[in-house]
Amino acid sequence: MKHILVCIKAVPAAASVQVDGQYRLKRDGVNLQWNIADESALEAAFRLKDKDGTVTVLTMGPPKLEAPLKDLLARGADRGVLVTDRLLAGADTRATAATLKAAAEKLGPVDLILCGRRAIDGETGQVPGELAAALGIPCVSNVERIQREGDSLLLSRRLEDGIQLLQTRTPALVSVCEYSYPLRLAGILGMRRARTMQVTLWSGADLGMAPEECGLKGSLTKVIAMESKFPGLRKGPKETRAEQGIAVVREMLREVRP
Amino acid sequence: MTEILVLCPFGLDPGLLSKAVELSGGDVRILVPGQDARAAAAFGAGKIHTLDQTDLSDEAAFAVWLSEKTARWGSRIILAPATVRMRNLMPMVAWLRGAGLTADCTALRMEEDRLIQTRPAFGNSLMADIRSLSEIQMATVRPGTFRAVERPNPQAVIQAESWTPGGAVIQRAFTEFTQGKPLSQADIIVAGGMGVGSREGFRKLELLAAKLGAGLGASRTAVDAGFAPYRCQVGMTGVTVCPRVYLAVGISGAVQHLAGMSGSEKVIAINSDPKAPIFDYADYGIVGDWEEIVDSLLKEEDL
Repeated sequence: MKHILVCIKAVPAAASVQVDGQYRLKRDGVNLQWNIADESALEAAFRLKDKDGTVTVLTMGPPKLEAPLKDLLARGADRGVLVTDRLLAGADTRATAATLKAAAEKLGPVDLILCGRRAIDGETGQVPGELAAALGIPCVSNVERIQREGDSLLLSRRLEDGIQLLQTRTPALVSVCEYSYPLRLAGILGMRRARTMQVTLWSGADLGMAPEECGLKGSLTKVIAMESKFPGLRKGPKETRAEQGIAVVREMLREVRP
Repeated sequence: MTEILVLCPFGLDPGLLSKAVELSGGDVRILVPGQDARAAAAFGAGKIHTLDQTDLSDEAAFAVWLSEKTARWGSRIILAPATVRMRNLMPMVAWLRGAGLTADCTALRMEEDRLIQTRPAFGNSLMADIRSLSEIQMATVRPGTFRAVERPNPQAVIQAESWTPGGAVIQRAFTEFTQGKPLSQADIIVAGGMGVGSREGFRKLELLAAKLGAGLGASRTAVDAGFAPYRCQVGMTGVTVCPRVYLAVGISGAVQHLAGMSGSEKVIAINSDPKAPIFDYADYGIVGDWEEIVDSLLKEEDL
């Protein structure tokens, strides 16, 4: 693998998040961290690349991601690219995939694209598939293990009812599960190397994207309402006397049993 | 009414089909393996396309076939169960069809000819209603969300389709997990949380489940603590279930868990903390020591 591209996303570190008037996730003023499955993808890339190969990390987000991207350079990435532009805000998965496609094409030929299988904030897991279709390459999701076998890859993929062992041609896109490959820490040498490296900053225009293709405008889904009240309130009676409680439970169970 | 297309090439999802029949007023087209054609008609599908192909692993190539087929069929609303494979295929089809796609919905409704898709967002603390802006509207739906309703369709037409894999991705082996009936199909589920306290505690729940012919469920924290295996996990990051009775033992009721079981017909909660949120989502609650109650239920001869 001469060139591996890893797409990585910064997600809010806190479990509770806020949205703005257009139901977009507020990313300003919250602590961001790299999505855990994406870290797994990056570590897999380090293990799969040739000795003289290149691992490029690509992310979309606010300018403040430059420093965390440098940290990934210190951990072993050879190039960091940050696509940052107000116009990209509010992108749904399709608009995100369109932007990543433009960036991937600008980066030149890649042998493999790795992504996390889903991000912990949106949890859609749709960007990998959309990106692969945009680039016209094979796509395997939910992968736990990747091995090289000549020019192809052997992939262990987790399904609901078992593990598939798949063989894919390259170039291909593979999305990786959380914790499959814990990301290595930065060493002294890596930190030194990263100090001399620059993160590449691109805007939507640098990628040749028209404003109507990106962000909220380029999206084909729209959030029309959001409510924090969880549906399904039942508020049934509460019994504190065990014997009476057991009697009722016995009756409820009997009703459904043959 | 608008025709709805349901894509189940790996196996019928009767709950999703039933929902599609309800939303479309009975105008459903479906793609299933040949062996599921009869069942599809029994649950109300009218136009049934069958595909018998053992290796569908080259999903990118299969997505191209699906997008050509769906364009020819002309369906404007396309649904699929949110299984691992369909969650990979649907984004590719959506891209190729220029369609918006919503992932892992837990509720669907029609507003005129627009499909309103509801899904949990941001760790389930919020529920979002989403509308597609594209002509083709697509969504994946969490398996187990909707109840299957038999509505035999005597006019069902079955048509066989064929697809030849391209070979870019091939399956070399498949190792099936050894387990019984999936949790999502259980009529009764006995589920435990951190309140159960230990692996030994879960053994008692397992005994109760065996006695009731029920499935064993667990909250994420209980799985993380090693009390139960991952396949038992109910909720946002586990399975979604809608049994006839859900017995929640020592489960506090985090929203992530509620997301996976709020479709249950009846919910019974047992918890020592009277303020536990689970009681708000239960039809009946017992405040007390779970072990005492489970022990009594285990002793019942005629349960």
